[in-house]
Amino acid sequence: MSIDLFHALAGSLLGTLGFAMLVHAPRRSWLPGALIGMAAFLIYWLLGLAGLPEAAAIFIGSLTGAMAALFCARWLRMISTVFLMMSIVAFVPGLGLYQCMHYLGEGETVQGAQAGIQAMISIAMIVLGQSIGSYLFRTLVKPPHHRQGH
Amino acid sequence: MTLEDERACMAPLQLAGQLIVESGGEIYRVEETITRMGRALGLRDVDSFAVPSGVFISYRLSDGTVETAVRRLHPGATDLERIDRVNSVSRRIEEGTLTLAQASAELEAIRDDRRPVRRWQPLAAWICASGFSLLFGGGVAEFLLSGAVAALVELLCEGLNRARAQSMFITLIGGLVSALVPMAAALLWKDLNTAPTIAGALMPLLPGLAMTNAVQDTVRGDMVAGLSHGMSALLTACLAAGGALVAAALFLRLTGGGAV
Repeated sequence: MSIDLFHALAGSLLGTLGFAMLVHAPRRSWLPGALIGMAAFLIYWLLGLAGLPEAAAIFIGSLTGAMAALFCARWLRMISTVFLMMSIVAFVPGLGLYQCMHYLGEGETVQGAQAGIQAMISIAMIVLGQSIGSYLFRTLVKPPHHRQGH
Repeated sequence: MTLEDERACMAPLQLAGQLIVESGGEIYRVEETITRMGRALGLRDVDSFAVPSGVFISYRLSDGTVETAVRRLHPGATDLERIDRVNSVSRRIEEGTLTLAQASAELEAIRDDRRPVRRWQPLAAWICASGFSLLFGGGVAEFLLSGAVAALVELLCEGLNRARAQSMFITLIGGLVSALVPMAAALLWKDLNTAPTIAGALMPLLPGLAMTNAVQDTVRGDMVAGLSHGMSALLTACLAAGGALVAAALFLRLTGGGAV
């Protein structure tokens, strides 16, 4: 992990907040959603510091983020999509995608393919973490008698 | 409920589905909302089938006949607040605090609400891109430039959207400009780190919501909608990155690779 704690916290908070504004998330979801995004990224960052492979760190960060997002949606009685999206957006491998294109643009096909595969693995881990997190939450936490956010 | 009242239920059910799809919601949510609303309004045998381009609704009237309707849908701009408001209407119908007439009026108000949200978009893109440039290892210069480029791209995309350009073309141009401006700036500003600047500026174009929808639809067992949203996310990401690829190749050809 090449960034320090300040960059990790400020970057994930601002990035998630800006993304929420872009998709017109309800205003009362901005702060809790951005905090969930930041916390999920912090878990990933700490696991990376502890020496866990990047793919595993993304998977665990995405899984815990998804569970926190679903809990928050139920607590605030809002749609889960808002928080689920905010919980994963900091993991989207924008830099990896750019590096892939950059290498391909320079004609360095092997390095481009390597960066592209790495980005695809990150995306697969995000999807897997969110799927399992959503499934676990819905299995472990029973819905209330009257429906909350669905 | 009279037969006429039962028939009148179709319009709000269709409108609820339409608002969710057109605002970028998941397909399982459309079907679940329509079915729950219909049952809460006292209808029997309510069924709904939605795809990203249309919704089919049917229910049994008290005379035994089946009322069915189809509506063709055209996905519009993403607006999660609209989906949340429709969800709130559905929830209150289920709780019995909203009548059919009140629900119809609220849904029509949501449909007709044209808030000036677009003014916020460049600022939102600025915040998003600046934040991600930090996450990708950028410093103050990258933070400032990445945000400015993303805001510029957002304005450009909005202009192209108003000119009725294809959404795929808009994403491609967005990716191209997001990469081209930082590369040009690096010619003048030798210390600028282009990688976090460009990657940060690309982030607002990437399909975070489509990816979430694909996962949620698939987890709920709707493979068709999951694949559809997944393909949409993949295509959008490829187009944004493809724009950056064109910019990198173009710049390499023009400058001999000095600034890239």
